[in-house]
Amino acid sequence: MSGERTQSALLGALGVALMLGAWEVIGQNRLVGMTWPPFSSVMAFLFDPSRQALFSRALTATLGSAGLGYLIGGLAGLAFAMLGQILPVLRPGTDRATAVIHAIPSIALAPIFIVLLSREAAPTALAALNAFFVFYVAGASGFASSSQTQRDLMAALGASGTKRFFHVDLPAAFPGIVSGMKLAVPAALIGAIIGEWFGAPRGLGILIVNAMQNFQIPLLWSVVVLAATTSLVLFSAMTLLERIVHERYR
Amino acid sequence: MSQSATANGPARPSLVGRIGRTLLNFWGIALILVLWEALVVLNDFNVIVMPRPWAVFADIWANPGLYLQNFMQTAWVAMGGLVLGMIAGTTIAVLAWSSRILNGLLTPIGLIFSSIPVVAMIPVLARMLGYGTETVLAIVAILSFFPFFVFTGSGLKLLPAGSADLFSVFGAKKHQRLFHLALPSALPNWTVALRLASANAILGAMVAEFLMGTSGLGQMLHAASQAFNTERALGASVCATIGSVTLFVLVVSLEARVRERWT
Repeated sequence: MSGERTQSALLGALGVALMLGAWEVIGQNRLVGMTWPPFSSVMAFLFDPSRQALFSRALTATLGSAGLGYLIGGLAGLAFAMLGQILPVLRPGTDRATAVIHAIPSIALAPIFIVLLSREAAPTALAALNAFFVFYVAGASGFASSSQTQRDLMAALGASGTKRFFHVDLPAAFPGIVSGMKLAVPAALIGAIIGEWFGAPRGLGILIVNAMQNFQIPLLWSVVVLAATTSLVLFSAMTLLERIVHERYR
Repeated sequence: MSQSATANGPARPSLVGRIGRTLLNFWGIALILVLWEALVVLNDFNVIVMPRPWAVFADIWANPGLYLQNFMQTAWVAMGGLVLGMIAGTTIAVLAWSSRILNGLLTPIGLIFSSIPVVAMIPVLARMLGYGTETVLAIVAILSFFPFFVFTGSGLKLLPAGSADLFSVFGAKKHQRLFHLALPSALPNWTVALRLASANAILGAMVAEFLMGTSGLGQMLHAASQAFNTERALGASVCATIGSVTLFVLVVSLEARVRERWT
């Protein structure tokens, strides 16, 4: 069993190495043209000491907006899911409203948030909106996963809807919510980055869109790699947390 | 849901009940529209900053041809990209299933791409492939590829208990195993991928069109906001929202049917 696991880990590492190798070879030989830089030159650009201040300032700004939005959106999404669970009459309405909110294009909302809030707050608001959807879906399906028998028992013992919610539905939803916490990481980052496209003072998003428009190919790739790596690291941390919780609640 | 209908007496025509049910289903959406209206009126925004909801719907009503043309452009590209991503993702997942080495090589790459903000890569793809409709198609295909690859891949391994042994006992060939066991078992997971990808197809297409300013609803939004025509910009967004929700609802009902047959 553990031999099989080592083998698949080795194969996986080889797969990633092959991908990076292909990236390098295509870039070195200009197989796709000037817009595909080799992996090594993107790394050199990314780790150039003279650009550390630029990248760390942008990353801090984006992580700040995404993190705050993640918290706000997460709490709001869970609260909205809770509303539908405690008062089941409202459930069809909450489902449809979240689906519609999720379907509104972020690029349409960004200018509205800039007017209503500010340039600085638009990335946070979009991150919150994206996280809201993921947390709502995770919460709503999680709360509903408590078994009918458990709910009947609570009803027979004369527990109120609220009491049942906190003693049965909420613990049952916990593994689902933790999975939502994981999936909301890239969602919140996308929200923050798109929000920054519309003229935030700093952040990864504004670097991406400026680099695209000004044909600064190494900068464009470096920032996208930075955003992807950040998301990957946070996502992996959440996957570990998810594994622990799923073991505990099985 | 039928409680409100019976409360008003079964003898009465169900008009009140029907209104009640509609309210229960759509109170959230109605609330969004009311909040939007209230926001504009209370802050006394002018039409450039933010028009009232009815003004946006009136603009759509007054220019059906323009909206329809752009909507169809975006919808076709989004659907085309969705189908391309679906074919590529499913095919590669099946190839990975058939070979342990390929599976080991590809699985982590699939996981990496499904845990990063792929939308942030649209500018890279736009620069690489050039500004044009084909690029929008490719972007939607790439966005759709990863859910299909990851979910089909995990679905192909979700076999009913004991079924794999049964197939071995009867000496089934690999292709029989694929078509009679693995693919049917993967179908519920595959519909989850379809749901995820379809929710993002129109939005992904619109972001790409917006950034490149090429065609469709995204270009319409871009041009309208450059011209301070906020009504039209929001109208384009309303169309995208309606299209996205419609596609999503179609897919969810398809998924429910699949679930019914398969479980």
